[in-house]
Parts: sequence; structure tokens; C-alpha cells
Amino acid sequence: MIGWVVAAVAVGCAAWAVAALVLERRRGASDAVGVALAAPTPVPIGEIDLAGAGSVGADSGPEATSSPELGAAVTRAAVSESRDSSDRPPELSTADAGLLVRLRMAVDRLEHGVVIWDGASEIYRNQAASTLAEARDSHVLVAAALEELLAEAVSGRHVRRSVELFGPPAESFVVTARPISPGGGDGAIAVVEDRSLQRRTETVRRDFVANISHELKTPIGALGLLAETLRDEPDREIITRLASRMILEADRLGRTVDDLLELSRIEFGDESEFATVAVLVVVAEAATRISSAAEQSGIELRIDVAEDVAVDGDQRQLVSAVFNLLDNAVKYSPVDSEVLVAALDDPEDGVVRLYVSDHGIGVPRRDLDRIFERFYRVDRARSRETGGTGLGLAIVRHVASNHGGDIQVESTEGVGSTFTLVLPRAEVNGAPAADEAVVGELPGELELFDTGVAEVGPDRVEVET
Amino acid sequence: MNTLRAEFHEQLEGVRSDLIRLGAMVSETIGGGTAALLDRDLHAAQLLIDGDDVVDDFCLGLEERCCQLLALQAPIAGDLRFVLTSLRLISELERSADLMVNVCKASRRIYDVEFGPQLRGLIEQMGVEAGFLIRAAINSYVDADTSLAAALDDIDDRLDELQVNYVQAIFTRHSEANLGLQGAVQLAMIGRYYERIGDHAVNIGERVMYMVTGWLPEHSGSARHRLRGAGAEDIKPIDLIEDLVGELDAPEERESGSSDEEDL
Repeated sequence: MIGWVVAAVAVGCAAWAVAALVLERRRGASDAVGVALAAPTPVPIGEIDLAGAGSVGADSGPEATSSPELGAAVTRAAVSESRDSSDRPPELSTADAGLLVRLRMAVDRLEHGVVIWDGASEIYRNQAASTLAEARDSHVLVAAALEELLAEAVSGRHVRRSVELFGPPAESFVVTARPISPGGGDGAIAVVEDRSLQRRTETVRRDFVANISHELKTPIGALGLLAETLRDEPDREIITRLASRMILEADRLGRTVDDLLELSRIEFGDESEFATVAVLVVVAEAATRISSAAEQSGIELRIDVAEDVAVDGDQRQLVSAVFNLLDNAVKYSPVDSEVLVAALDDPEDGVVRLYVSDHGIGVPRRDLDRIFERFYRVDRARSRETGGTGLGLAIVRHVASNHGGDIQVESTEGVGSTFTLVLPRAEVNGAPAADEAVVGELPGELELFDTGVAEVGPDRVEVET
Repeated sequence: MNTLRAEFHEQLEGVRSDLIRLGAMVSETIGGGTAALLDRDLHAAQLLIDGDDVVDDFCLGLEERCCQLLALQAPIAGDLRFVLTSLRLISELERSADLMVNVCKASRRIYDVEFGPQLRGLIEQMGVEAGFLIRAAINSYVDADTSLAAALDDIDDRLDELQVNYVQAIFTRHSEANLGLQGAVQLAMIGRYYERIGDHAVNIGERVMYMVTGWLPEHSGSARHRLRGAGAEDIKPIDLIEDLVGELDAPEERESGSSDEEDL
């Protein structure tokens, strides 16, 4: 009996102990009404206890003594049982009954699903496992796997299976089932674990290493090859061409490293200077930086930001975030389309929502929650065409979290994307944020009228009234 | 006798929960097949094609149990309609899973075809809609929810519309010389498979209405036919079931809800 408790502590899960206790009680009850036990080998209880204690206790660690109360309670139960004649159900003392109730409650609180079988039928199922079994969606497949594994584990095998669900959302479960006592015969216990988060973290880590190597190695490889060709090249013209290619690649590498540095600066966040910043100032600065690229692709930037919308934040970081959003919008938009930047003041929630919306190629649904990772590429084959560093959205996410805000994205492939940057709203009482002083900081080519609706087009920068 | 009835009801419950499981299998196949198609994942496609054998095996076992229920328990009235409906649902769901196998097979044939963002988006949306329809159909069955069952036809309109846009997008992409004829035909077929899954969900809805009310959309047509006096001797299997169930009210005249087949 003690052996079981040891096992329970060793696996760090109270479920085993519940298995032992529940099984005891069930067994006693069955005896009382004279129903034959369904367990494959009905052995007198005392013998099972000894067998269990002998074999499991052998590999017990230092935890063996860490739960004296539990051990004592179960031992008391075993002792009171052995005193009882076999035609009476074993009577649990109040303390043991209390322990049983508490164990049940504890296992019910577990996020893991736990089911205990006595060989033919179920004796215990915790809350999480019940929810699984009652589901009507794909979760019933996990419940089905659980039952199949229990049936295998009852015959004494330790089995494990992972169940991948496509959803949406995609989920990943691991079901493990093992016999309660080493030889089997006392039924089995199965545990369901939701591994979706771990699975995701693993993928992020793996992809990060792969992607950063790719991003750094590509320009370095190109530089090496170009230099090699250059070494033996007599033709002046070709040398010039190769050298300018080298400069391009070096620039590219430099940009990646710059972005990495910027990202780590933002991640540390110790240089941030928080102040009340007019959103229009931020947007205008970012728009000025992107305007030449937009002009090249004939993309019109429409800015719809009222001048009195302001946020609490670090202006440099915010410009960097909005610039990266605009950069993406311009990069992935078709020629002659429109990119809209709009800000919505939401005093009720105390936030300002800044929307950057495009009619570009969009993001596949499966990539939506991953595009904010460093170096994550939806289409790696195309990444060199657009020339980004793969860090833009990671920077945006960190700026958002530095400000206690959030970044959200909605996208349909082939229709377009809308990124929403949620930032804490600045309380502007009486003095509008975009007063003379602030407007004075605006880039020269942007004029502001009362509405504050500005349009930065490919060939014009003007204001709509 | 009471234990017998209890056992019978347990068996009915078993059929119900296994149909939920079958529905989950099919909706997973839709999600998995769509992902395999969009990710160009040949391995996943192969797994799904092989996995269809599991679905078939499950369907056979379930059908066998339904037949045994009919033969051994001789259910009547609502219970009879439940078992008959379950039998029909098995084949509708099994066929839906087969359609996703077709999608997987087609995805192998167009391994090297670039879909472009618009088609990809539409395929994804069709996958989501088809999965949603199957789950809604199963829910209507489990809850015996006639209003949801009746709504499936309207919900399916969205999938039909997506498929029409999808075919249009294939034409556009083909005319821009971004898509060869072979790829275009395969893609069009894939759209068709999704659209058919929606139709199967609508069929399930009709069968659920029959389970609850004893009425089928085809009843309206059948009544019209008989009124015209053309087929007085022509007794259809459905009439036999009517007699068998023997508790049908005179079916109201309603518009046929059967889904129109639209050609590419």
C-alpha cells in the first residue's frame, strides 16, 4: 500500500493515490453486494498491497517520506480493511474519507484529464476528462484515444499516444495510460495532457534558430562568392558591378543587424522616454519615411487621424512601430492600391486604436499568430524580393508590449490585412495634444487643417478638408 | 423487461455518441485535408488518404450495429426514425470523408502549381465553411434541433457563393497565364468537392427534420406528383416507410429545400 503512495508522489500527481483509494472502496462495495469483480485477476486485497509495496517501493526516491500524512492515512485504511471480514465494505475513518474527498477535488482541479479504470468499467473521471468526453467537436477523438489506451493499459502495458487536431484552432494532446500496479490486474489510469502551448513554443524556438541562420548566412554567402569572383576579375566594368552588389549585400546585412539591435533595445526598454505624444505626429513621421517607397509602387497612403488623439509613449519607438507596419503594408500591396492609416480614440477603454489597413496579399490563417516572431517568414522564397529583415513585426509587438498595449491582426489571403496597434490613451485635458508646438514638429511637407485628415499620396502630400 | 429497455436505450445512446465521433473524424479530415493542400504536405495528404480506411471501418461497424438494432429490437416510431436517420447520416458522413480524400489526391496532382493568395484564401474559407456545416449538422442531429437543421440549407449558400467566386478566381488566374489548364481543372474539382460536402451537410439536416417530424422535403414533390395523377400505382420506398411509421400528419406543402446543383 505504501508503495502506491510512493508511486503517487514520484509521478508528482495525486491521481495515483486517488486510484488506490477509490479502487479500495469500490472493491469493498462490490464485495458487499456480491457482484463478481471485473478485474482480470481477483486477488485478496492484502496480497495486492504487499506486492505493490514490494515492487514499486524498490525504485522509490527520497520522496518516499515526503508525504507521511498521506502514507499514514492509506495505511490506516489498509489496516482497518484487513481487520474487516470480507463480507463487509471497509469503513474509512472520517480522516481518510476527508482525504479522499480532498484528493478528488484536487484531481478535479487539474488541467490534465484523468480517468481510472478497474478493467472493465470506469471508476473515476475528473472534470477535465468529463469535459473531453462530453464534447461534440474534435475533442471526442481525444476521449476516444483515451479509452482505447486504457483498454490496452489494463492488460499491463504502458502506452502513450499523441493526438493532433487540426481544429481550427490546431491543438495537440498527449494521452498516456499505464496499469495501476506493475503487473496489471488492478485496472489502469490514463492522463490527457494539452501540449498545444509547448508544441507552439518548440516550433517558435526551432524556427528562430533556422531563420536567423538563414537571414545572416544568405548575404554572407553572397559576399563570399562575389569577393571570390572579384579576386581574379580583370574587367574594370565587371569589377564595378560586382562591387556594387557587394555593397548591396553588406547593406542588407547591416540592416538586419541594425534591426536586431533596435529590437533588443526595445526589448530591454530602458531607454524609453514616456511622454504624451500626438498620434498624428507619429504617423506623419513614419509616413514621410515610407513615402518614397510608396511612391515607387504607386501606393497611396490615406491618413485619417484626428489631431487631438494622443497616447502615452516613447515617440521614437512608436514611430519605429508605425513605420514597420506601413513598410509591410506597402511591400505587400499591389501596385496602385491604397493603404489606410486611421486612429480611433476610445476613452471608455482608455486606449487609442491605430489601424493600418491594406489591400495586399494577406496572411494565411495558419501563419497569423506567428508573424510577430523574429525572422518568421510566411513565404521564405519571396523574402528576398521584398528585402525586409524579418524583424519588423517583432519590433512592433515589442513596442506594443513596452507601452502596455497590444497588436492585433485580421487578414484574409488575397483580400488584405488590417493591423491594429492598441496603445494607452493619454489624458488630454484642455490642451489639445497637437497644438502649435507639436504641429511645429511636423515634417515640412505635411500641412494640417482643422480636420487633421491628411493624405500622403505617391506624388502629392496634401490635406483633405 | 425494464433491463431490456434500458439496454436498448443504452444502445441508442451508443449510436448517437459514435455518430458524434464520426462527425468529429470528418471535420478533422476537412481541416487536415485543407491544411495538407495549402501546405503542399504530401506526407499529411497520404496519412489522410490512408486514414480514410479507419473512417470506413468505423462506419461499417456502426452501420452493422444499427442493423442489429433494427432486427433485434424492432424499434418503433421515434426510435425507428432515429435509427433510420442514423443509418443515413453514416453514409452522408462517410461520403464527405471520401470527398476530402479526393481533395488530398488532387493536391498530389497539383503539387507544383502555385495557387496565388486569392485562391489560397478562398480554399481556406471553403474548408472552414465545410467544417462548420458538418459540425452544425451533427449538432442538429444530437439536439434534434429542427430549426438548425432547416437553417443548414441557408448556411450552405455561403459555401456555394464561395465556390462560385472561387471558380471565377480560377478563370481570372488562368487568363492571366499564371495557372495552366491542368492545374485549373484540378483546382476547380477541389472547389466542387468542398461544395459537395456542404450538400451532404444539408442532406443531414433534411434527415434530422425527418427524424423529428417525419417529414422530408421530397414529400412535397411526391405529393405534387400524385396530385397530377401520373404515378398512382407508383409506390415509392418512402411511402412504405410512411406506412411503417404510421404516425405522420398530412405533410404541409412547403418549398423543396433540396440544394441545386450548380455546374462549373
